[in-house]
Amino acid sequence: MSNDRDTIFASIKSALEPLPERTECPDWADILPVSKKMDTSVSTKELFVRQHVAASGRACSSVDELIQLLKDEDCSFGYCDPELANLIPEDAGIQFDTDYDMAKVDEYKFGITKASTAIAESGTIVLKDGETSARLAALAPWIHIAVLSEVDIVSTHLEAIQQMADDPYIVFSTGPSKTADIEGILIEGVHGPGIQVALLL
Amino acid sequence: MKSYQPIDIAARDLNPDIHKATFESSKVKTAKRRAILEADYDDADKLRETAGLIKQHTIEHLDKYLAQAEERMRENGVQVHFAVDADAANAAVLKIMQDNGAKSMVKSKSMATEEIFLNPYLEKNGMEVVETDLGEFIVQIDDDHPSHIVTPIIHKNRRDVAKSFEREGLGEYNDDPETITRRARKHLRQKYLDADVGLTGGNFVSAESGRVVVCTNEGNARFSISANRIHIAVIGIEKLIPTDRDLSLFLNLLSRSSTGQQLTVYNQFISGPRSANQPHGPEQMHVIFLDNGRTEVLASECTEILRCIRCGACLNVCPVFRQAGGHAYRAVYPGPVGAVLSPLLAGNRYPELADLPKASSLCGACNEVCPVNIPIPELLLRLRDRAKREGIKKATKGTPALGLWATLCSTPAMWKTALSMGHTMNYIPTEMIPHPSAKAWQHARKLPKFQGGEFRKWFKNRKQS
Amino acid sequence: MSLLHTPPNRPAGKSIQLMTTCLCDAFYADVAQATVEVLEYLGCDIELPEGQTCCGQPAFNGGDWKSSRKVVRHAVRTFLGDKPVIVPSGSCAAMVFHGSLLAFEKEEDLPEVEALGNRTWELVDFIVNGLGIDSWPGKLYAAISFHSSCHLRGSNSAEAITTLLSSIEGLQLLEFEDKDQCCGFGGTFAVSFPNVSREMGTLKIESLTAPEPDIVASADMGCMMHFGGMMDKQGLNVKRLHVAQILRDSLKNAGLI
Repeated sequence: MSNDRDTIFASIKSALEPLPERTECPDWADILPVSKKMDTSVSTKELFVRQHVAASGRACSSVDELIQLLKDEDCSFGYCDPELANLIPEDAGIQFDTDYDMAKVDEYKFGITKASTAIAESGTIVLKDGETSARLAALAPWIHIAVLSEVDIVSTHLEAIQQMADDPYIVFSTGPSKTADIEGILIEGVHGPGIQVALLL
Repeated sequence: MKSYQPIDIAARDLNPDIHKATFESSKVKTAKRRAILEADYDDADKLRETAGLIKQHTIEHLDKYLAQAEERMRENGVQVHFAVDADAANAAVLKIMQDNGAKSMVKSKSMATEEIFLNPYLEKNGMEVVETDLGEFIVQIDDDHPSHIVTPIIHKNRRDVAKSFEREGLGEYNDDPETITRRARKHLRQKYLDADVGLTGGNFVSAESGRVVVCTNEGNARFSISANRIHIAVIGIEKLIPTDRDLSLFLNLLSRSSTGQQLTVYNQFISGPRSANQPHGPEQMHVIFLDNGRTEVLASECTEILRCIRCGACLNVCPVFRQAGGHAYRAVYPGPVGAVLSPLLAGNRYPELADLPKASSLCGACNEVCPVNIPIPELLLRLRDRAKREGIKKATKGTPALGLWATLCSTPAMWKTALSMGHTMNYIPTEMIPHPSAKAWQHARKLPKFQGGEFRKWFKNRKQS
Repeated sequence: MSLLHTPPNRPAGKSIQLMTTCLCDAFYADVAQATVEVLEYLGCDIELPEGQTCCGQPAFNGGDWKSSRKVVRHAVRTFLGDKPVIVPSGSCAAMVFHGSLLAFEKEEDLPEVEALGNRTWELVDFIVNGLGIDSWPGKLYAAISFHSSCHLRGSNSAEAITTLLSSIEGLQLLEFEDKDQCCGFGGTFAVSFPNVSREMGTLKIESLTAPEPDIVASADMGCMMHFGGMMDKQGLNVKRLHVAQILRDSLKNAGLI
């Protein structure tokens, strides 16, 4: 392998050597790719909700709303991050584990985990490994509920990217999992959640 | 019509259903791409040009950025490997699996591993390999090949897929796409949970942070690194970008160009094994940087093709791809980008694929939609020149010989004689001209009336009067 | 470099050289004649270099760059001096100021080739951006489907042609689907890929004729030879004109020439 490394670096060097000049990296500070949908007349929260819903996500602004959604979708058993466990009242008729049991992957109809931040520009939820209690809880159930505080919402992708710090695994998640592989027909809920919820507290 | 060029023949013989599916879906995608770029940006061309310059800068400083990425990755706890070719890459994957007693792999969509034929290699060595992207899964069970970089089964309809699922024991015949998708979800769910290894590609690698960025809509790349112990990413060495900040430009362009989405559903930024407090996810992360002909491309006159971020926009917009379909290109990368890249990456097989650069009317639409502004028509032209210089018959067959024409065009006396003599063409039935090019021309068209020299005469006489 | 590149700061005086194009020289005399009439109406003094033949594009596109360079060198020797060179064809113009440069990248005489490119204009680009004329005083009561050839893609000519044609009294530029789709000509492509070329031509003819135009027009006789030849074979009798002919005919209709 180390031999392959040397060979590759040597090939790159000899390929680049004859270049009379090399392209400079452009400065693109003045053309940031911010979408025109980045409406500054509304609050960051409002824009996030609008864009999240436009990306087929659902937004709940209270726990009651969330409980109603779970009941409507017939999802009464799931998983919840232990730190969020007291969000759901015991008498709500919703059952959940706070210790993720691999044997129940397909029994968990919903997963409630923390989102680290969200991006208003595109309605995106940002999940970081260090703050997600169980990767599978945010991925395997039919419904994923990302709990987030509205003060955490940033405006643009660039801001979110600059805040990534040193977490080893970050996901920008925008709406439900989807495919259009068969005849270009859009189907939601392929391997990941069919319903993506943002619970704003 | 008799033809000498493989892609023209493939287009002529293409199954009408596949033709229709390819033609229509590429049209829809082209329209969506254009609509979202216009809706979202005042000057999308400026963004494309900037992204192109960033990539060109990166590949022209690849030694620096590759070393930087490698160093960051090692600091992040990633095991970094290098593979000069397909054999080396395949062997590296196998060794990682064997060293860890792994038997099974779930695979997220990766063009690089298509390129090195990883699946048959691992299977031959006793490993179970399961493709998890819905399209790629169908390609795998059908023992077929993808016909598009982004939408691998653009050449199949729902009835084809339903039959394959029935044959594989995934339920009774049902051609409802939603039902098919749910069945795949159920079937692949267990594969994810059982697999030892998850393999992904990498859409981008930030040299600054060593982050590998993987973009999928289905969530399969997330699942491929959630329940298993080992993550292997096979990544072409050209996938680098200088900084994390650049991602805000590239991710926005990639999703809009490939599927007309503002952002791919899942953009994953992976810089190492799972966090200490995280119960799920790989304990080991391996990155295999793949050359497999890329450094030769870097040394060629077509370096710009290494900017490619595999969005597929040039396929969708290409009138030849839309007529011929992806399989006509006989290689992993079809369409305009493939017509440049496939022959260059082919190694010894280059002469077999040297005809691909001919499969273009040079209309320039590919350049116009490219998110990294690759001058594809110029690269096609350069490869045409190369094939001609090297005398590769497969490329030159069917193209009229132009040596005599060049002499005619650089000798004014001969040119004028030809202009006056050409009038005889108006008196003989042109269908009888025994030249293959004349036949090809007149198969669908009439020749215009010959008027050689008439303008010159008019101009001269008028000057005198 | 990109195919969309047009050189900046080209000379724009009224003393010009005319590059007829090989297709007009051999097949489309009236297009060349119309070009002369239009330029002379604008007060241009036209020189027609006798030794001219072709711009070298057929061999360039066909991949025979050696042959192409032979023809380009001939063009460079033929079009001497520093007057603007005007071509009634978007694709020939692009060959002179762009394609040739690619073919001569490693050649010693690149500077001479580049010098010719730096004074070459497509006809309407010259009228609008060279001479500063943005409205045309002619009259032509007709609905026109204009085929924008691929070499006009993103060029100055595309906009210039729309500006000028839409200013003509009575002229209506029609909208139709897939306007920027290639017609399938592509030089030698039309004979080396006869099946794909025909399919592309069929689609182009369908979209061009869908809005029932009085005239189908283009700024490139190469494209028109291809899809026009197909229309003839199919017996489609829609009138076809080069943009130079439209400009000239509209002047005649207005009694200006």
